[in-house]
Amino acid sequence: MRSWGRYLICGVAGLLIGGGGAVWSVRAGALGSSDRIGPWTTGRDFGTAQASPYTRAVVALRGLLALPATEARYYNAAVDDAGRPLEGRCTYMIDGGGLPARWWSLTLYDPAGYLVANKPGIYSVGSAGLPSSEQAHWSVVVAPEPQPGHWLPTGKSGRFELTLRSYLPDDGGKGNFTVHQLPSITRGACA
Amino acid sequence: MIRRWIGPLIAGAVLGVVAWQGTLTMAPDALMHLALKRVSAVGGPNHFTHAPLATAASRAIVRPSPDLAYSSCPFDLGKGPLLIDAVPVLAPYWSLSIFDKHTNAVLVRNGMKAAYKPFRIAVLAAGQVAPAGYEAVPVDGRSGIALVRILIDDRARFPVIDRERRATTCRVAG
Repeated sequence: MRSWGRYLICGVAGLLIGGGGAVWSVRAGALGSSDRIGPWTTGRDFGTAQASPYTRAVVALRGLLALPATEARYYNAAVDDAGRPLEGRCTYMIDGGGLPARWWSLTLYDPAGYLVANKPGIYSVGSAGLPSSEQAHWSVVVAPEPQPGHWLPTGKSGRFELTLRSYLPDDGGKGNFTVHQLPSITRGACA
Repeated sequence: MIRRWIGPLIAGAVLGVVAWQGTLTMAPDALMHLALKRVSAVGGPNHFTHAPLATAASRAIVRPSPDLAYSSCPFDLGKGPLLIDAVPVLAPYWSLSIFDKHTNAVLVRNGMKAAYKPFRIAVLAAGQVAPAGYEAVPVDGRSGIALVRILIDDRARFPVIDRERRATTCRVAG
């Protein structure tokens, strides 16, 4: 084989592997995968010029127009406390406490980042909708079928993700919530 | 035999790194461009579109919050600065954020910071000047999105907030 042929083969292979690998890596990346806290992942440089090219690309794909940490923090979970992927056919107990922020909400998304269709049209549970008696300790059941108390429907049987938004964090977004402050995700029965 | 492949392999590796970095660098701009097209398709550029509360059918922006009412103004500074007359709504949370074409938030101002009083912003491309009475916010490039978020803690109040949020406007200067 001629010299230029070898360069052509290796050059094209390099471009395909490099470009394709970057696309694969971004598509497989979790929102804010820079910090892992129990089942939650987060990052502190969303929406800023300081974000790495990788973080910027993942945020653009999974949470475009996310606010900087001073304004809001985003924690994402695609697994439960035991590290198992969140499955729409299973029931999960989410237990949390008061979070040091002005308000928070917990929203269920499909893996592409869109809200999941369900009959009652319930997509999130947040501090603004909780009675004062539950602000310090709250529980939400994530399940495909209706549940007593606060219910977040999984809607269908595929995988899903949970995003916890906390707006105007008390520390100005300088630090992450601890594993004790963030809600636990415990899997129950699966259909 | 193997020696003849060393140079091509090194060149391939270098090109692989360049492709990796280039893809990561270009991806946010490309995704922002797509989002601008989707949002502009609803109401056009340089004025606010006030979206209904997000549902499972919402596809304009990925990972929308169902608790927030979004008003978006995709902008194109090709014909002049974008002037935003912001009127914060009295809600538990209100904010105006401006994102450039690289997805960077160049300004975030919430209702508390603004003392829930109206304020004026001029989004400027290089070489443009803010009119008197407008706070200058320069951006890199000529396109981006201004986004208003309002927390809807009680969906029964949404019709009232929906009317009030329309007091915030954006337009091209001149």
